[in-house]
Amino acid sequence: MKLYQMVIKDVLRRKRRVAYAALGVVVSVMTVVGILTVAHAAQARIYNQLEKYGPNLIVMPAISNLDLRLGDLMLATLTIGENYIPVEKLRHIRQITDDEIRRGLGINNEGNIATIAPKLYTNTKVNGMPVMVVGIEPQEESKIKPWWRVRDGDYLNAPDQALVGAMAAELLKLEVGDMIMLTDGNDVAVTGILEETGSNDDYLIFIPIQRAQQAFGKQGMVSSVDIRALCNACPVETITDRINQNIPGVRAVAVKQVAEGEMGMMEKLSKFMLALAGITLVVGLFGVLNTMISSVHERVKDIGIMRAVGASHGQIIKIFIYEAIIIGILGGIVGYIAGTLLAYIIGPLIFEGIAIAYVPQYLLISLMVAVLVAVVAAVYPAFRATQVKVADSFRAL
Amino acid sequence: MLEVKNVSKVYGQETTKVVALDNVSLKVNSGDFIAVMGPSGSGKSTLLNIIGGLDRVSAGEVILGGKRIDNLDENALVEVRRGKIAYVFQQYHLLPSLTALENVLLPLTFCGISNRTEKAMDILKRVGLDKRARHKPNQLSGGEQQRVAIARALVNDPELILADEPTGNMDRRTGREILSLFDHLNEEGHTIVMVTHDPEIAKHAKEIVVLQDGKIIEKAKQEPARPRQRTGAR
Ligand SMILES: Nc1ncnc2c1ncn2[C@@H]1O[C@H](COP(=O)(O)OP(=O)(O)OP(=O)(O)O)[C@@H](O)[C@H]1O
Ligand SMILES: [Mg+2]
Repeated sequence: MKLYQMVIKDVLRRKRRVAYAALGVVVSVMTVVGILTVAHAAQARIYNQLEKYGPNLIVMPAISNLDLRLGDLMLATLTIGENYIPVEKLRHIRQITDDEIRRGLGINNEGNIATIAPKLYTNTKVNGMPVMVVGIEPQEESKIKPWWRVRDGDYLNAPDQALVGAMAAELLKLEVGDMIMLTDGNDVAVTGILEETGSNDDYLIFIPIQRAQQAFGKQGMVSSVDIRALCNACPVETITDRINQNIPGVRAVAVKQVAEGEMGMMEKLSKFMLALAGITLVVGLFGVLNTMISSVHERVKDIGIMRAVGASHGQIIKIFIYEAIIIGILGGIVGYIAGTLLAYIIGPLIFEGIAIAYVPQYLLISLMVAVLVAVVAAVYPAFRATQVKVADSFRAL
Repeated sequence: MLEVKNVSKVYGQETTKVVALDNVSLKVNSGDFIAVMGPSGSGKSTLLNIIGGLDRVSAGEVILGGKRIDNLDENALVEVRRGKIAYVFQQYHLLPSLTALENVLLPLTFCGISNRTEKAMDILKRVGLDKRARHKPNQLSGGEQQRVAIARALVNDPELILADEPTGNMDRRTGREILSLFDHLNEEGHTIVMVTHDPEIAKHAKEIVVLQDGKIIEKAKQEPARPRQRTGAR
């Protein structure tokens, strides 16, 4: 029989006591795991939204509005700059973007890396109703908007086709196969209708960009460019700065900044909650300490017996530490389960519509935290146990 | 093998002062069987605890195998308890979580020795309890528990066995059975110091020491009366 086997047998006999001691650990671990799991889900949701956002940055023509004033009198507003970006600048934009991503990720493969989706917006009338037609690069656009689903028909795959947003189709009474006249002699056929996205896209009609440039006489021009660098570590700010500094007449805006602000909020919140969890850990620690001290009192006689048949101080301490480890493992497992359940219940109350998912890695964290708490709590009681005098212990009961 | 020299033990201070042992000297030779007698509160248990290093002296010396043990630190005392001396108590003092077999193995566990189940079973057989090896103390009678305690004391092959009223909690018949075990152990060469109230039991010893108010008032050698038919384990 080894020492730890003896401890296990003792723990099995004093199940209720041990469970009671483990309770302190359970509550602590439950709080930590609950908070971590909710925070994890919230973070995942923000990333998801980030993904849905589509582009990391948008490049637009640099337009500034200048107020023409004379004293207090406002005369007019002058719009300075171009309404379009010439296609030639796209090459430069791509070069800067790919360059920065390569540098950011430390890779040097050839070819295009970022998704660059230019657009040409034109207001026109279809079936007598005003509507905006957007010229797009079909392949690039589908990469930047992975949530697009075609409800009826097919995605764009030929020059003379149109993809219609859900609301636009309804308002204009368009169906797959219908013809749309863009300008005189420029017809396109409706090839597909998009599912509702909840965004502006629902009200738009999409056609291949070359077709739009040709039909509306805007050869070589785009209205704006969406850029998506598909990586979390991509240096969006650097790309934005370099485009703004090096390409005149355009203005690049990083979209991620918005989401990052949200992320920062989230991080602050989880820091606060973890501090809270830290307090519960300390409370739990004292709970275990308390139970262990009374268990020392209860077992004064047993400790005396063990000392009388040859247990050293070190072995008495070991016995209590082993028991603490068992308490920690028990408390860690139960605390992980309870904390996860708690997250499933509390999560949706804090963040509406959040999808909580259990995180298996947290079991390991739970076990480590629980064992640490239990062992730290056992140190003093174990020391007290070594102070038991053999001769007195037998008289005590 | 063991000598107690001018040992005193005082409990408490001033008003609560109790002199449990008052200048006691005693020699225990190898192979002895000493019965310590005396009225309740005369210091018998105190003397036994001091001999075995379970309690500290207030004055005097305890010498075991030529070495003083009264001034040893805790760690050194642990070695004494693990080796030459073993105890049997009136209240058996078995660990309730462990089976009879595991209780017997306990001293070995603290010595860091495992896998001696066979040896422990042999000893249990010697005390006639091999059939009860897997029982917990609360499933055993008092006599059976005391046999387990004796088996536990034997597992380390001690030279000296200290027994504090080992039959005090049993009826006469069971007591006699336990006693015959001690007789047998003594015949095998174990040295025994046993505290008892009972003159009948004291008759089994080779020497009787009588304590009163912490002093030894009488020491007498005698021919041990041992009913032949009861000798040895069943
Ligand atoms: N820890 C202690 N504190 C104070 N007094 C004590 C302590 N232990 C023992 N005594 C006292 O010392 C004296 C001797 O006690 P001891 O237990 O040795 O007696 P004993 O001869 O074994 O008695 P019994 O036959 O009842 O077991 C008693 O008066 C007792 O009250
Ligand atoms: Mg006594």
